Parts: sequence; C-alpha cells; structure tokens
Amino acid sequence: MVANGIAASTAKKMKLASSPRSGTLPPPTFDIETWAGNYDGALLPFRLAHIAIHCPQLARQSLSIAISATKKGKDVQLYNRLCELASQLGLQDLGAADHEWAGKQEEGNKRELSRLEGELRGYKNNLIRESIRMGQEDIATHLLLTGGPLPDPANPQPLNTAGYNAAYQAFGRMRDYCTTPTHIASMTLRLIYTALLQAVSAQQQHSAAATHFNSALANAGRLRSVGVKEEEQVKLTPIACAAAGIAQLGLGNYSDAAAVFLATPFDYNTLGTVHGAHFGKAMASANDIAIYGGLCALATYSRQELVDNVLGGKFRSFLELEPHMRKAISLYTTAKYQACLATLRHYYSDWSLDVFLGAPASSGATADSHVDRLFARIREKSITAYLSSFSEVSLASLATTFPPTPSAPTAMEDEVLNMIESGMLDARLDMVKGILIAPRKETRSSAHAEAKKAAQEVERTLLLRLHKVNVAMAGLEIPRSKASGGWDSLAAGNGGY
Amino acid sequence: MAAETLLSFPPDDVATLSPKKYDDLMTKYLKSLDKLAKTWTVSIGKKNILDLLSPEVNSIPYLLALNDQIKTAGKSIDETHLTLAASFLTTFDPVQVRYVGEDFRELVCFVLECAPQAGADYLVAVTTGLLRLDPTAGTFTSMHLLLVRACLQASMPSLALPILDKDIYAYPAESQKNVPEDLLSEDLELSNSFITAKSAFSHKLKSDFILEYYLHGAQVYIGLRNYDRARLFLEYILLTPTIQHATSMLQVEAYQKWAMVGLLAQGKTFPLPRTLDSSVTKSIRAVGKPYDALAESFERRNWRKYQAEMEVGTQQWHGDGNFRLVQEAASALLRYRVIDLQKTYAALPVGRVATHLEFTSDETLTLLSEMIRSGLLNASITPAQNNTTADAVLRFHFTAPTTVSSTAGGNLELELQTQRIESLVSSIRDADRRLQLSKEYVEYQKRQKRSGPDAADLADQMDLSYDNPIEMGGDEDIMAG
Repeated sequence: MVANGIAASTAKKMKLASSPRSGTLPPPTFDIETWAGNYDGALLPFRLAHIAIHCPQLARQSLSIAISATKKGKDVQLYNRLCELASQLGLQDLGAADHEWAGKQEEGNKRELSRLEGELRGYKNNLIRESIRMGQEDIATHLLLTGGPLPDPANPQPLNTAGYNAAYQAFGRMRDYCTTPTHIASMTLRLIYTALLQAVSAQQQHSAAATHFNSALANAGRLRSVGVKEEEQVKLTPIACAAAGIAQLGLGNYSDAAAVFLATPFDYNTLGTVHGAHFGKAMASANDIAIYGGLCALATYSRQELVDNVLGGKFRSFLELEPHMRKAISLYTTAKYQACLATLRHYYSDWSLDVFLGAPASSGATADSHVDRLFARIREKSITAYLSSFSEVSLASLATTFPPTPSAPTAMEDEVLNMIESGMLDARLDMVKGILIAPRKETRSSAHAEAKKAAQEVERTLLLRLHKVNVAMAGLEIPRSKASGGWDSLAAGNGGY
Repeated sequence: MAAETLLSFPPDDVATLSPKKYDDLMTKYLKSLDKLAKTWTVSIGKKNILDLLSPEVNSIPYLLALNDQIKTAGKSIDETHLTLAASFLTTFDPVQVRYVGEDFRELVCFVLECAPQAGADYLVAVTTGLLRLDPTAGTFTSMHLLLVRACLQASMPSLALPILDKDIYAYPAESQKNVPEDLLSEDLELSNSFITAKSAFSHKLKSDFILEYYLHGAQVYIGLRNYDRARLFLEYILLTPTIQHATSMLQVEAYQKWAMVGLLAQGKTFPLPRTLDSSVTKSIRAVGKPYDALAESFERRNWRKYQAEMEVGTQQWHGDGNFRLVQEAASALLRYRVIDLQKTYAALPVGRVATHLEFTSDETLTLLSEMIRSGLLNASITPAQNNTTADAVLRFHFTAPTTVSSTAGGNLELELQTQRIESLVSSIRDADRRLQLSKEYVEYQKRQKRSGPDAADLADQMDLSYDNPIEMGGDEDIMAG
C-alpha cells in the first residue's frame, strides 16, 4: 500500500534522524501511566513517542500506551508511524501493525470526509452562514482527528495541504462565516492547538517548526483581543498566555517566553473545558507551565527580578504545583548556586522527556534541546553571579562549585574562556596561578578618558564641518572635468604652477 | 630725495597711530614708492640699498628691493641673497607686509625653491615667516602647500609640523560687494581678513592644492605615528565637497591610507564619516577593494590571510606607494593579537601565546619584549625557573602607570581640549558670518521667507553651544563621592 509506505518512511526519518540522541536519558522520576493520565488529545501520542525515542527503559511502556490510545482514535497515519517506530526501536511485537483495523478505519475516514463535504455543499447552497461555519468546523475537526490527507508524491505542490496543515487551513476557512466574537475565539483556539500540533509533529520529524510556532504565537495574540465579553475573556487569556509562552519557548526566545508565562493567570489550572477543548490536558498542564516559566525566568532574569516577579509575583501559585522548581529558584536567589544546579540536574531527565522542553532548539539532529540551552544559560549566569562577589577565584574552586559536564581536564578553563570571549563574563584568567580575576573598575579615570574621547570627537566633527563649509564657500569643490571624468585632477595637482 | 621717500614710512609716532590713519599713510607711501625711479632698488649713492634699510622697520622697501635684486641676479643667485631673505623672513614687520602680499609670496617661493638643496635653516625661516605673518596659519595659501612639498623633497617632513599642526579655518576669499572691508592695519583676530584673494598672498587656489596639502600632511603624520591627526587630514580629503559626485584620485589615495591608519590606530577601520557623499563612497570603494580585503582579514585577526593578501597585492601596494604602510599594519596585526589576549587573560605562559600566534616560543618572546619595550603592551615577562622560553610567564598589568598622573594630567589635557574647541568655535562663528554675507545665503533666506516662517529648519544650523564641563563643578562631586 502506497499510503503505508510513505508513513513508514516518515517514521524511519523520525527514528533515524534522532538515533544519535536516542537512549541517552535515564528514566524520569514520574510514573509514566499516571503521567499519561494527565494528558489526552492528539498531542499525547507525540509526547509518548518523544519519551520512547529518548528513554530506552520506558520505550515499551510508553509506546504500548501510545499505540492503544491511537487505536481508539481515527488517525491511521499516526498509528502506522508509531508501529514503525516500535519496530525501529526493536519492539517487534508492538511494531506489528493491525492492518485490518487500519484499512477499515481508513475506509471509514474517507467515507466520513465525503459525507461531511456533501453536507457542507448542501449548507452552502442554502446560504445559512451558521450552518456553513459548523460544516467547516466539522470537516476541520475530522481532518485533525484523522491526521489529514496523505501527501501526494506525484504532485508536490499541495504538500502544504497534507497532514495537519489541511486541518489548520480548514479551521482558517471558518473565519468568513463567523458572526460573533465567540465564534472567532473558538476558531482561534483551534488554530492555536493545531499549530502547536503541527510544530511538535515537525520537530519529531526534524524539520523546521518555527513557522508553526509563529502562527501559534500570532493566533495567541489575536485571542487576547478577540472582543468577547469580560467574563469570557477571563477564560481565554490564560490559554493565550500559555500558548504564546510555549511558542516563544519553541522559538528559543527565552526571556520573552518567561515574560508571557509569568503573566499567565493561575485560572489556567481550573479552567476546565473551554469551547470544547481542555487545554490543560490537550496542550500543557499547569504543572508544565510552572516548569517552563520557572526555567525560562531562571535562565534570563536577574536575582532581584526573580525575587520580585517570580517568587513574589502571582506566578508563585504555579510554582506551588512544582515545589522543586520553586526551591531551585529560591536557592538561586540566595546564592546557593551549587544546590540550585544540583536540583535542576536531578530533574534533567523529566524535563528532557517533555515534548516542548526536550525538543531540539534548532533544526538538525545533533542540536541541543531547549533544556540543554536553558541549563547552560543558568549555569553561565550562576558562574557570573558567583564571581561578582569575589575579586579572585581559583579555577579549581570554581570547578568544585560548578562541576563541568565534560570530563576533560581543561573543561572548566575552556568554559570560562568561552564566557569571557562572548562578553558574558567580565574577568581575566591568570593561567599561571589558575585563578580568575575580576577587573578593577577605575571609575574616575575611565570617566576622564570618556570625556576626553567625547571632546576629541566634538573637535574632529567641528573641524570636518568647517572644512566642508569653507571649501564650498571658496568655490573649491572637486570639479567634474569633461575629458576623463575627474581622474585627471591628479595630473593637475602634480603639474603645479 | 629717494632715500627721503623710502624712509618716510614708518613715521616716528607709528605706535600711536590709529588704524585708519596708519592705513591712509600707508596708501600714500605705497603710491610715492611707485612714483620713484625704477633704479632705487639697487643702490643709493655708493651703498647697496639693503644695507641702508632695516628689514624690521622698513619692511616694505626692503622686501621690494630684495625681490628686485634676486630677479636681476637671475641664475647667478648666491648664498648672500638666501641669507638676506632668511633674515628678512625672521624679522619683518607683519603689519606692513600685509600691504604687499604678492611680493612676500614671491620671496617665499624663491626661498622654497632653493631650500631643498640649501638646507633646513631656510625651511625653518619660511615657517617662521609664515607664522609671523599669521600666527594662526589658519588661512590656507599656496605657500602652505609649497612649504610642505619642499619639506618632503628635502626629506625633512617634521619641519612642516609648525604649519601642519595649525588647523585651517578659512580660504582666501573674494571680497563681498557692499560689505565694508576690514582695514589691513587693524589688529585682526582672524587672518582671513587680510589674506584674501585680493591680497595675493596665495596663488589662485584649485581644489587639488587643498587635497594635495592634506594628503602630504597625512603622510607626514603617518610617518610620525600621529594617527589622530592623520585621520583628520584624510577625512578632510574624503569629505571635500564635490560637484556632481565627481571623485578625485587623491580621494581614492586618501581612502586607502585612511583604511590602513584605522587598522594601525585602533585595530579596526574607522567608521565612514556619516556626511560622506554616498556615490563618492561607492566610486572610492570600487577602487579601494584590495584595501578593504586587507582590513577584513585584519579585523578578524587572521594573520595568515593577511599575509597572503599582502603578498598577492605586492605590486598594487608598491604602485600606490602604500607598501610600507601595509607592512606596518602586518606587524600591528600581530600586536593586536597579543593585545586582544589581555581581554581574556591576566597572565599566561609564553608558550600559549606562541600557540595562539602560531609562532615559535623564541620568536614570540622577542615580539613580546619588543612590544613591552616600546610601550605598546603594559605587561611584564617573568623567566621560568627552568629557563625554558615556553614556560616564561607573560603577565598583563591593568593598573596602567599612566592612571596615577591622569588625575592632574588628564585635567590639564581636558582644559587644553576645551580651549581648542572654544577657539574653533570662534572661527566657526566667523565662517557662519561669512556664509550669511554670501549671495547664496541671501537668496536662500528670500526663498525661506516666501515659503513661510515655519519652514526654517533648526537642524540646519550648526550647533555652536559647547558646555564647558570644567566650570560646571561636577568634578568636585566626583571627588566627594
């Protein structure tokens, strides 16, 4: 079957491309079944696949949950992909796809789609906007649940109308038939969800996800000013913030992500179902938001900002859900960097197995994940902050406070040198004594030097302007000679008098 | 009779004469000189007239006679004429000479023609003469250019410095119609009041003269490693206004040198002046590509690439006369690579510096000691205990020894700077005034008036307010803090 062949090849890509990183992570601290219970919707299989790829010990368990969950749904493509992934990972029993079910389901999907399309045509003939809108929504939802049409290899042009893209566009087509702000809000919510799904799907296949994150971000922005009544907007804002944060995180804009996460109202946790979707389960739980926001803030905010806005702000209610995150932040703010980093490291595996945090921060198989990048930033910030209280620190003591990850003997030195060269750390390295020296600030003399420089600049600029004015006034501009376009002026200059 | 006329000026009470009276007397005197028979310039009675007159008191007749005698002598000029001319240049009365600009210029030209062979003393005499005439040396004349040329020809460029160090603030101008002229005899603040197109102190200027003057000047400063001043001179050339985006070859040469000076002075090219005509920039850059390539390798601190670029373009550098400059920049590149290290390191073994430079330890040690000795690097080298070069330690010092004196010295320097800018502002005010007297400005004002009072753009006016930072008392606050 052609369809299966293509699905298999994408699954292969998914596995092979990620093979250098697969099986590197130890099992997380959570129990996978309970954890899986926190989520539902189309994103759950992707979450589980992410775990299976990165954590060999949990591969069987997570895939079996994923496959059985998928089989309850309608997405045959996803089912095939997961089975393929299972056999790639050496789980042959799970990898054996139920072709009979797949064939039947696919037939059913196609029938359903044509039925819905027929209905929509009928609505369109009747010209009832509300019915057309609902017809479009039904088709879009169906496309989302079934994973959309397969890409047609013979005709590469409609490639962007295949898969979840088809669902995204179908939701977008509802716009013309929306009559109230509530309709728009409902559509925008679906667009956000689909865009995030597209992004995750793209990331797992190691293609660029930035466009999808950007459209999620744009839709999240729209959701905040959609024009519905106050009491409705209260329900939408938390989702808009959380989605925007996830999108910013996916794009690698950590400080922006931190800002949006911190602005997320805690109502997110108790939101329940909004417009037919429970985002806490389908997108990210409040616990996830606590982790995302906490990590991003820790990586980008100063100590004072952390105290004021994170621990002291309204985000604290989120942090109460994840006490270790809160602990890590308070350890950082009380300058216990070593303990802070140790806490973070303890949960490294958990967070790397998260589908958004563990995604590669840039496309490419060997790219660092967002967790790696965030950890690296937190580490650099800690080192900088640690050094700010000393005028001299020996490399050896630095290495005990911040044990370098690679085991090479010059690892600490290289890290520090990199930080100095990138301008993050204002210090000098004494290679002989093996100490790091903070430069002494000579405020007075540097102010003098500054003033001198400014004055010189003023003088130079004035002289240059005076020159221009004088030359123009005396009519001594460089003339345009007729014969050879200005070049013979040199000869004239040398010719003298 | 002749002697009487000649000595009729200055009168005994010259010091008390009002400028107006002085001017009247002088005009009369010059007329009476014209009326005299042509022969007076050679001798009166049996004596050479030059022995009768004092160059200090009777500057005008002395100058005329000397010029005439030199002319008559033709080819057979001897040392005595030169000596007389030189002594005249160091002693003449500057106010009298203002009335005989052309003759003064002739004499200067004569001395400068002979000077390259005759020796440094005569060049010094000319600079003294120019500065006696105009202590600011701020009005450009062809004598400026001739002097710099002669100094370069005599391979004594530093002799031109007293003139080069003065900033040019005006060019001799035609007198404006309907504007009363200043009296030449007045005590004038700015020399462009008496060095005008009419006074003929200068040949008729062409833009090339100005460009050439600044280019020679820049070369002198580059030779002396005064890169700030060299940069200023080169930017003068680059920023000289052009008609319809014409570009002079001299501007191209200036650009090439300017790029190299930037590398030498601060390790990267200077930012292009913002007011530079963009199409001129384009045509200059099109010709200056090889230099941009050099600059790029330099800025990346890529020594090998720079070396390679340098070898490939050898012919070009020679052709442009910039080979030495390019070579100089090559060694500067090595220095900057070492200097860059002190942003990262406080101390490190020479062996590591060597690896960084891709040199042997011994070569590196030589380079480092050379740099430290010449004051380019504020560091010290401690030999290793086992006496191997690679283990010797290079230690950068951060408390520069200059900072100790910088509180007193820095203040003084800032004050000098302030004075310079203030005097500059007065010459700018003058330029502004002249600009306002020009026909073009009047027409511009007319048009402005027609288009309404709001149309005047404040941004077009030159900002002349310069806050004196020293008088603001902020300094004491720093002390208290």
